[in-house]
Amino acid sequence: MAYNGPLEKVDDYRWRIPKSYKEGMRTDAIIFASEDMIPSIREDNAPEQAANVATLPGIVGSSLAMPDIHWGYGFPIGGVAAMDADDGVISPGGIGFDINCGVRLIRTDMELNDVRPHIKELINILFKNVPAGVGSKGIMKFSGKSFDDVLQYGAEWAVESGYGWEEDLLTTEEGGRMKTADPSKVSDRAKQRGIPQIGSLGSGNHFLEVDFVEEIFDEEAAKAFGLREGQVTIMVHCGSRGAGHQIATDYLRTMERFVRKSGIELPDRQLACAPTRSKEGEDYFKAMSCGANYAWANRQVILHWIRESFEEQFRTDAESLGLRQVYDVAHNIAKLEEHDVDGKRRKVYVHRKGATRAFSKGRPEVPEQYRNIGHPVLVPGNMGIGSFVLVGEEQVMKDTFGSTCHGAGRMMSRSQAKRSFTVKGVRDELGRRDIYLKSATRDGILEEAPEAYKNIDDVISVVVGAGLSRKVAKLTPIGVMKG
Amino acid sequence: MRYELLEHTADLMIKAYGDTLEECFENVAFAMADQIVDASSIYLSKEEDIVIEGTDLEELLYDFLSEILFIFDARGLIFGKFNITLLQERLECRAWGEEFNPKKHSPKSDIKAVTYHELQVNEDEPSITVLFDV
Repeated sequence: MAYNGPLEKVDDYRWRIPKSYKEGMRTDAIIFASEDMIPSIREDNAPEQAANVATLPGIVGSSLAMPDIHWGYGFPIGGVAAMDADDGVISPGGIGFDINCGVRLIRTDMELNDVRPHIKELINILFKNVPAGVGSKGIMKFSGKSFDDVLQYGAEWAVESGYGWEEDLLTTEEGGRMKTADPSKVSDRAKQRGIPQIGSLGSGNHFLEVDFVEEIFDEEAAKAFGLREGQVTIMVHCGSRGAGHQIATDYLRTMERFVRKSGIELPDRQLACAPTRSKEGEDYFKAMSCGANYAWANRQVILHWIRESFEEQFRTDAESLGLRQVYDVAHNIAKLEEHDVDGKRRKVYVHRKGATRAFSKGRPEVPEQYRNIGHPVLVPGNMGIGSFVLVGEEQVMKDTFGSTCHGAGRMMSRSQAKRSFTVKGVRDELGRRDIYLKSATRDGILEEAPEAYKNIDDVISVVVGAGLSRKVAKLTPIGVMKG
Repeated sequence: MRYELLEHTADLMIKAYGDTLEECFENVAFAMADQIVDASSIYLSKEEDIVIEGTDLEELLYDFLSEILFIFDARGLIFGKFNITLLQERLECRAWGEEFNPKKHSPKSDIKAVTYHELQVNEDEPSITVLFDV
């Protein structure tokens, strides 16, 4: 399915689908991309989805899409949309089923040479300690209502239960806990799905990676983030597992019925939504907050096991190894935020679906230790090339409600990737780059082959060129664990 | 052909066929299981009855497939055979399978959810198209 509609060039990095393109659009859609990317962006249905989002009631500003845009369901992946807090809607399709899928970055005081000779053993220990793969289960037991604490308190629950350090919370978006969470709005089914899986990575594009800092681009920001060249870091990408998936499934159905009852006309059933002030809308936001908290608890528990794994391999305590968290970002979430729009301060629900918050310096949401710089933005590329750490520029607050890209973006479908690559080929290719790979599934290797993704450098150069963010550091993998 | 994979950049789109709509429902459920694991390796030792109520065929399909995902995640059961009866605003299914064992079933993909995007239940030329979030 290709997009043949208009894409008007605004400048070198911005392309517009005018609101005249299709009936029902309330505003333009703006796609951030370079001219070179346009043919591949046109190849799938993602621009149409960005246009569809512009039809949602109460949308503020434009329907936005980041350069890692690709075809999703409802919203495009890479989509950002702000909805008026009073007169707008909230749409589970603008968040995704994997609520608070996100990325956590941990730094160490270790050098590449300290770790590379032991990478195979280290990844094997991580594999033993962090459950991963299809249907992977954690090892925690909950009795009675105690699981509600996970949904209510998120990463705070994890730290209080002994999984991690107080300081980890200071470097987690929202402190690892959305206070809008209300576990009574989460179905028993979502709880039953979530309980066995807490503390597990899952599969698909989720990963745990040991990297080293290959290059620093911004000394001041890198210093604030505790990053320096040659240093070993660890990155985790995962989300809210079955708990989030079921919360989204439940509320999508509720809202789909709501839409049919209320006569709201939508171009895609997956865009089902409800007014922010309706019971359906408010309940969803409270439940979504629980899903987000689950994900932060999940990544917090995994961080604890990462520290234990390093202790096991290097026979030194995690504090001495300097295993400190740099930051944790959500890239599938809705947030109630205040933004300046046309000179007026407005409260909006910013939907980020495959997009990362990138608040620049000064915003109160930025943790104190980063407030003079902006918080770290974590953008994984692919398992061969690695990841970038960015920071938001002031322009990002004006242009995209403080949002930037979240990854490289898929270029090749999963089935195409499975046809195109072999396990041996991918392993050999990573081997040539000195990257050790261990995966729970064969498909996890093929679907995530580096060539299945867009070039991360192209994506980054667009967000940099458009003035949304600047580069701080480049991380290159030495060992990868896939679900 | 029971089902085929359609091209989708990020997720998994399936089109299932059958002589009747009920057979399409059976085949789409099989296709979903066959994407999570190698469905031919599922031993049909356990039996389960699933009943779904919904206002239209799309909703029945969404709820039915979501229920199978729920049973997989919450109870660790994977089904490889389905027998479905469609009634007015109601779906009755008898499913056969066993406890999921990653060592035995060659896991492939975690399916996160069923989506409404491009969801189609075609009654005239029986087929079902559905996109899964993976």
